[in-house]
Amino acid sequence: MATVKDTLDPIKGRAPLVTSGATFKEITDAVAAPLEADNYRAWWVCFLVAVFFLGIFLVSVSYLIWEGTGIWGLNNPVGWGWAIVNFVFWVGIGHAGTLISAVLFLFRQDWRTSINRYAEAMTIFAVICALMFPGIHVGRIWVIYWVFPIPNQMDMWPNFMSPLLWDVFAVSTYFTVSLLFWYVGLIPDFATMRDRSKTKARKIAYGIFALGWRGSMRHWLNYERTYLILAALATPLVLSVHTIVSFDFAVSNVYGWHTTIFPPYFVAGAIFSGFAMVLTLIIPARKIFKLEHIVTTKHLENMAKIILLTGSLVGYAYGMEFFIAMYSGNQYEQFAFANRMFGDYAWAYWIMVSCNVITPQFFWFKKMRRNVVVLFVLSIFVNIGMWFERFVITMSLSADPLPSAHGYFSPTIWDITTLIGSFGLFFTLFFLFIRFIPMVAIAEVKTVLPQADPHWHPEDEGAGHSDEAGSQEVTAHG
Amino acid sequence: MSAHGHAPTITLEEATLPKDSILRKAPLLLAIVGIIGLALAYVTGGGDDGHHKQFYYSYVTSLMYWLSIALGGLFFVLCHHGSRAGWSTVVRRIAENFMITLPLFALLAVPLIIGMHDLFHWSHADAVANDKILQAKTWWLNSGGFIIRVIVVGVVWTIMSVTFYRWSTRQDEEGGDELSHKMRWAAPLGFLFFALSATVAAIDWMMSLDPHWYSTIFGVYYFASCVMMIMVAISLASMFLQRLGLLEKAITAEHYHDLGKLAFGFVVFWAYIGFSQYFLIWYANIPEETMWYAHRSTGGWEWVSLALAVFHFIVPFLFLMSRHIKRKKFTYAIGCLILAFAHYIDVFWIIQPTMEHFGHSHFSFHVADILAFVGIGGLFLAVFVWRTASKALVPIKDPRLAESLAHENF
Repeated sequence: MATVKDTLDPIKGRAPLVTSGATFKEITDAVAAPLEADNYRAWWVCFLVAVFFLGIFLVSVSYLIWEGTGIWGLNNPVGWGWAIVNFVFWVGIGHAGTLISAVLFLFRQDWRTSINRYAEAMTIFAVICALMFPGIHVGRIWVIYWVFPIPNQMDMWPNFMSPLLWDVFAVSTYFTVSLLFWYVGLIPDFATMRDRSKTKARKIAYGIFALGWRGSMRHWLNYERTYLILAALATPLVLSVHTIVSFDFAVSNVYGWHTTIFPPYFVAGAIFSGFAMVLTLIIPARKIFKLEHIVTTKHLENMAKIILLTGSLVGYAYGMEFFIAMYSGNQYEQFAFANRMFGDYAWAYWIMVSCNVITPQFFWFKKMRRNVVVLFVLSIFVNIGMWFERFVITMSLSADPLPSAHGYFSPTIWDITTLIGSFGLFFTLFFLFIRFIPMVAIAEVKTVLPQADPHWHPEDEGAGHSDEAGSQEVTAHG
Repeated sequence: MSAHGHAPTITLEEATLPKDSILRKAPLLLAIVGIIGLALAYVTGGGDDGHHKQFYYSYVTSLMYWLSIALGGLFFVLCHHGSRAGWSTVVRRIAENFMITLPLFALLAVPLIIGMHDLFHWSHADAVANDKILQAKTWWLNSGGFIIRVIVVGVVWTIMSVTFYRWSTRQDEEGGDELSHKMRWAAPLGFLFFALSATVAAIDWMMSLDPHWYSTIFGVYYFASCVMMIMVAISLASMFLQRLGLLEKAITAEHYHDLGKLAFGFVVFWAYIGFSQYFLIWYANIPEETMWYAHRSTGGWEWVSLALAVFHFIVPFLFLMSRHIKRKKFTYAIGCLILAFAHYIDVFWIIQPTMEHFGHSHFSFHVADILAFVGIGGLFLAVFVWRTASKALVPIKDPRLAESLAHENF
C-alpha cells in the first residue's frame, strides 16, 4: 500500500508552523528588522502615495460637507448609494482580524499566531474607513452627536427602532474590543521593541506603550487570562456586527432585501472578503520583509481554504435567496431576482457571481492553494466581487415595485474619489503600522516553536536560547 | 501537543464491547420496542374518519428529532476530516455509529410519502385549485417531485454514510495512511452534498407543512440543531459507555470539555439563527410570514414558544458557560439532557401547530407523540447499538489516535 506524502499536511503528527528551525532570537530579529532598517526610501514612496490618496479623500469629504450629498449620484428611488456600499465593504473587510484573533484562538488554531497581528491591524483600519461613511453621509455633520442617546433640552432621542442606530453601537463596540484585543497582544512586543531600542526617543515611546512590561510570570498569567476573556467577548462580536449591518437592509420591506438568511450570509461574506484582503496584503509583505519562514505556504493555504468555505456559504445564500423567491410564488420577489440577473444591473450581478462564487472554486485544488501568484490574483478578484455584492444588493432600490418609479443610479466623480480616497486612508494607516509596530506577534509565534514545548530537548540543534526580557517566559498555550 | 514520553495508548481489547456484554442483546430488544411503539402510535393516532393525521404528525416530529443526530453525526465526521482535527479522534467512532443510522432514515422517510395527504396540505388537488399561492408553488410542491426528492436525499445519505463508515472501519484492520487520506480528500465534497440534502429535507419535511410560509434561513436553522444534538449525543453515549467500564481512560474531562464548548457554541448559534428569523419577520410584518409566528403565539402555543426560549437558550446558556460544569460528568450530563429536551420542544413547536391548516390549532400533547418518539428512537438506537457492538469503539489504527488520547485543553 502506497503511503501518502505531503510534508505540509501530514497524516500523522503535525508539520511545524514556523519553518527553517528558527530560534527565538531569529524570530525577533526577523520581525523587528523592518522597524529598525537604515534606509526607508521605499517606505516613504509608498507612504506618500497613500497620503496623496488620503488627500483626495479629504478633499472629497470637505466638498461633501460644504455642498451636501447632492454631489453624489443619488436620486429617487436610489437614495442610498455608494456610501452604504463602501461602509459595508469596509466593515466586511474588518472581519478577518477578529475571526483570526478570537475564533481561531478558541479553536486552538495555532497557525493564527503568524498572521493575527497583521490581520487585526487591517481590521482596525478597515473599521476606521467604514466608520467614515455613516459619519459623513448624514448631511449636517456638525450634529453627528445626535446619533448618540445624550440627554438634551430638546427632549430628542435617536430612533431606537432603527438598525442604523444599532449600527452605531455595534460597530463602535466592535472597534473598541478589536483595538483592545490588538493592544493587549502588542504589549509584550512593545516591551521587546523598547529593549532593543538604540535611541532614547524610541525607548521612551515604546516604553510608554509597553506599560512597564517586564515579562514576569505574574505578567504572563494576567496576560493569558485577559487574552482568553477578550477572545470570548470578541467572538460574538464577529457575528453581531455584520448581523446588524444586514439588518440595515433586511428589516425593510424592499424586495431582495427582506430575507431571513441575511444575517449569517452577511457574516460569511464578511469573513470571505476579510480573508481575501489579508491575503492581498500579506503576500507582498512576507516577500518584501523576508518573513516567508513565519508566514509559510501552509498559512496561505489555510486562508485559501477558509475563503473556499465562506465563498461556498455565500454561494449557498445566493442560491437559497433565489430558490425561496421562486418557492414563495411571490411575483415581486421573483421579479427582484430576475431583475438582478437580467435587468439594468445584470453586469454588476454577473461580476459579483463570477468573483464570489466561481473564483473560490479554484481553491479546491491544492496546487492553486499553494501558488502564491494565483492566491494573490484571486484574492483581488474576491475583493472586487464583494464590493459588487453590496452594490448589487443596494441597487435593489432602483427597481421599485411601481415601474414608473424605477430609476438608474450612476456614480459621479465624487462617488469615485471618495471610494478611492478611502483606500488612501486605509493604506496611510497601514504603512504607519508596518513602519512602527511589529507586524507579527513575536511573543505568540515563539509559543508555537518546538523549543517552547516544556518537554523539548535540544538534541540536534543547539538553538532555542532566550533573548530579550520581553519574551523570556514562554508558556505553551496550544 | 504534549504527547511526549509516556503517551497513553489503547488496545483493541480495551476498545471492544465484551463478549458477554448486555448491550449485545440490546439491538434486537430495541428494534422490537421500536416496532411496537410505532404500531401503537399508528393505532392511537388514528382518527374516527379512518385517517391517521395525528400519527403522521407525531411521526414526523420524532423523525426530525432523531434525524438531527444522524445528520449531525455525518457533519461531525466530515468536520473531523476536513479540519484535520486531532482531539476528536477518540469520539469519532461514536459519531460514525450515529451517522450510520442514515440509511435507516432513508427507509423511515417512506411513511412521509404514504401519509402525504395527511401531512401536506399542498398535496390536495382541491386545495391547490382554490389557492393562488399554492398554484404558484406547484413547480416545487408536487407529489411527484416530493417523492423523487425523498429518494434522492435517502440515496445521498446512504452513500455518504456507508462510504465514510466503511473507510473508517477498514482502517481498523488495515491501518496505514491511505484511508485517512481518502477520508480527508472526500470530506470537503461531502459538505456540499450534506448542505444540499439537509436543506431539502428541512424544507420539504418541515417547512412545507405550512405551505404558504417561507424562510431562507430555514435550512441553517435545522443544521444548527443537528450540530448541537450530535455533541449532546456523543457526550451522553460516551458517559453511558464509561458507566459500563469502557473507554474509561480514553475519553477524559478534556474531551467532554471540548464537546461541551461546541454544544454551548451551537446552542448559542441556534438562538442567533432563531432570533434572526423571528426578528426579521416580526419587524417587516408581512402577513404571509408573520402568520407562522402568529399561529405559535395563541392557543396555548405561546407557552411552548416561551419554553423554547427558556430551555433552548436561557437555561443552557447560563448553565453550560462554566468550564467546571462541562468538565464534571454529572453536571455536564444534566446540561446535555436539558438540550436534548429543548430540541424536542423545538421540533414539536415547528411541526405540530401546522396540524390544523389555517384554523385555530390548540396546543395538545397526544399519547401518539410519546409512542412515535419511542418507536423511532428504538429503531435508531437499535442500529446505533448494533454498530457499537460490532466494531471497535474507537478508530483503533487512526494515525491521530495518540494525539487524541493525550489531548489537553489549555
